[in-house]
Amino acid sequence: MVGRYPDFDVMQSADTWDDATRAVVEQRLRSPTDLRFFDAAEAVTAAAFSDTVTAQDREPRVPVVAMIDKKYAESRHDGYRYDDMPDDATTWHLALRGLDEVARRRYGSDFAGCPNEVRNAIVEQFAGGSLQGGVWDTFNCKRAFSVLMRGVLAEFYSHPWAWNEIGFGGPAYPRGYMRLGEGLREPHEKPEALQRDPVRDTETAR
Amino acid sequence: MLRQVLKGSSRPRHNDSAWLLDPQRRGVPNRDRMQRHADSDEVDLCIVGAGAGGSVLAQRLARRGWRVVVLESGRFWDPDRDWVSDEAGSHGLYWTEQRVIGGTDPVELGKNNSGEGVGGSMVHFAGYAPRFHPSDFATRSRDGVGADWPISYAELKPHYEDMERELPVAGQHWPWGDPHSYPHSPHPVSGGAARVWRGAMKAGIDMRVGPVAITNGVMGNRPHCIYRGFCLQGCKVDAKASPLVTHLPDAIEHGAEIRADCRAVRVEIDSNGRAAGVVYVDRTTGDMRMQRAAAVAVAGYSIETPRLLLHSVSTQFPGGLCNNEDQVGRYVMVQGASQVAGRFPDEVRCYKAPPPEVSSEQFYETDARRGFARGFALQTVSPLPIAWSEHVLAGGHWGDALREYMRDYNHWFVMGVLCELLPRPGNRVTLADETDAYGVPVARLDYTQCDNDRRNIAFAKDVMHEIWLQAEAQDVLTIDRYAHLIGGCRMGFSPVDSVCDKNQRTWAVPNLFIADGSVCPTQGSANPALTIMALSARLADHLSHAA
Ligand SMILES: Cc1cc2nc3c(=O)[nH]c(=O)nc-3n(C[C@H](O)[C@H](O)[C@H](O)COP(=O)(O)OP(=O)(O)OC[C@H]3O[C@@H](n4cnc5c(N)ncnc54)[C@H](O)[C@@H]3O)c2cc1C
Ligand code: SF4
Repeated sequence: MVGRYPDFDVMQSADTWDDATRAVVEQRLRSPTDLRFFDAAEAVTAAAFSDTVTAQDREPRVPVVAMIDKKYAESRHDGYRYDDMPDDATTWHLALRGLDEVARRRYGSDFAGCPNEVRNAIVEQFAGGSLQGGVWDTFNCKRAFSVLMRGVLAEFYSHPWAWNEIGFGGPAYPRGYMRLGEGLREPHEKPEALQRDPVRDTETAR
Repeated sequence: MLRQVLKGSSRPRHNDSAWLLDPQRRGVPNRDRMQRHADSDEVDLCIVGAGAGGSVLAQRLARRGWRVVVLESGRFWDPDRDWVSDEAGSHGLYWTEQRVIGGTDPVELGKNNSGEGVGGSMVHFAGYAPRFHPSDFATRSRDGVGADWPISYAELKPHYEDMERELPVAGQHWPWGDPHSYPHSPHPVSGGAARVWRGAMKAGIDMRVGPVAITNGVMGNRPHCIYRGFCLQGCKVDAKASPLVTHLPDAIEHGAEIRADCRAVRVEIDSNGRAAGVVYVDRTTGDMRMQRAAAVAVAGYSIETPRLLLHSVSTQFPGGLCNNEDQVGRYVMVQGASQVAGRFPDEVRCYKAPPPEVSSEQFYETDARRGFARGFALQTVSPLPIAWSEHVLAGGHWGDALREYMRDYNHWFVMGVLCELLPRPGNRVTLADETDAYGVPVARLDYTQCDNDRRNIAFAKDVMHEIWLQAEAQDVLTIDRYAHLIGGCRMGFSPVDSVCDKNQRTWAVPNLFIADGSVCPTQGSANPALTIMALSARLADHLSHAA
């Protein structure tokens, strides 16, 4: 994953981090373990969903699904559910089934088997809360989207590859920062290699 | 004058915590000589919750010779080992057990709301430490909205001053509310905060640096802030205040016992209608135990405090302890905490420096021209990547657009507001049908805004847009959210309008006290932690004089 900071690799600073933090971050770079929360079919759908919403279309990919699987297998919850929603784990199972149902109705294939335009169109409706029929009639579609997105984004943007892409300095203890003011950069922070303005330069969002 | 000369150097009168810390290690060093009490030993006070309110109360009373046991549901943190300089890795700091949320404007809980573990929510609080304004204590008589407090600002003022020295608080001289200065001088500000400041100035809005509960210079064995920006993940440096470093070392030194991994499930009431102690689960062994105590103080935060009372049913209190007047759990408040991000052509790198930097209370009080009562505060916030992705998502972006806004992270800076939302009886904690691992029903929080709340939030967002316009931001992105739960067991004038009296004693049980943010009748636009601590210091004064 190359963003605007091709010369920046946050892991090059890993020797300046404290041991507890380094262990947590390095663990994310190890190959994922076997699935415990999703079944094999669900994992395929979840990966297609995650690829669509994070625009990951080539290897190496951040292993978002394996990370989410680990989270729920270890019963790490977010601490609340809306009164018109099941718990987050159940929401995942139901929403993945629902994505496949809609895809089969529209395109005759599972969600993962649909071309990008179809997947994008389905996700657009998922985000807008307008998917209907089957499981979608049993809970609040818009809130289900936010449950899944909360899960995907928390894993994706905890990964060092994503930090490299966005130029985030990563863990900063015990080193800290010395140069806070306008236009200042720490010696280990690399300048941007190209300028892109998301407002002007991203044509159609999806 | 003398205080100016002594800036940063005067030692607090009632608290040696910073000097008891170990300069080489984080965490609480005197734990190994901590006093231990038997369950059957009737201690003077059993406190539920080692957070902002519970810890100060324990520290103050232990100093006066009280035998105090604090039951804390979460772990006794060792920051060197348990805390990480990482967003996702800090999940363990939050209260993440199931809660149910409802109402027209539900309040999302979890990481944005409450903590679990010794130190409570301040372990991952941002660090803003403003006082409430004198007007906050009488909004009903002054503005015709909200509620009057049974105490005045003047009664809390000496405790505000003590707390500001003990945390310590750093910032510029404060011109709003009751004008005052701070013991530590203002921190340097980042490039992003400088832009907010410039935009605000052009828009005719006054800002100040601080007030933040972060050392600027050393204090005892607490070092200077290193501007690493991970305040919401727990300060591994000991620069940001939390009771773990500001009050518990001193409490332990004076004989208080902080019993971690112990979840209170019921306050026990004897046949005379007095609290006899607290029933709790020892989470390491799974055993159900009861700590006997001559008095009990509940300080579990605005959700867990009402939940514990509602679950403590008895023949005298069939609908929950202290709830015969149907007041427990009502008038819970949050602040409308919308945030607006502004984009700049050059790099801003908002992850550097503490998120709390500069703020303004110019819009705090009622201004009739705005068309609503009461007001809001403006503050910088600066998110780390995961929080920034949630902000981008709230703008309606996913897929390519989200990824691209994310790649643009270093060009954005974020400012937020805290809008005073009014207390309403239906905004309430109740018990849901489902239960937790210990068989206790989980809490349900319903929240619905009133028109005044909505107008306040809309106006505050317009002001943020104006500041970014003046700062010449090229683009803005907005997220609507809430912060800072308070209320739920408020203090008041009589048993029919509140749960406890002006000295935080419950109307229904003479030796039962509420010692956390749930006692507050209103919240103003100020972050609440300093006030919660000051209230506990005042409560301790009252208890030791009364005893
Ligand atoms: C992300 C975030 C940022 C914040 N930023 C700021 C800020 O900048 N400034 C500010 O002033 N405030 C801020 N706050 C709010 C502030 O942290 C809280 O208002 C304050 O800590 C609440 O104090 P408390 O005593 O009511 O509860 P807490 O500090 O939450 O303490 C309650 C304690 O009780 C324990 N407990 C609960 N139930 C039980 C039980 N049954 N048995 C045993 N123990 C129990 C909990 O584990 C917890 O440790 C922030 C909060 C969050 C989450
Ligand atoms: S920025 Fe300062 S106060 Fe905040 S976590 Fe880092 S060292 Fe602590």
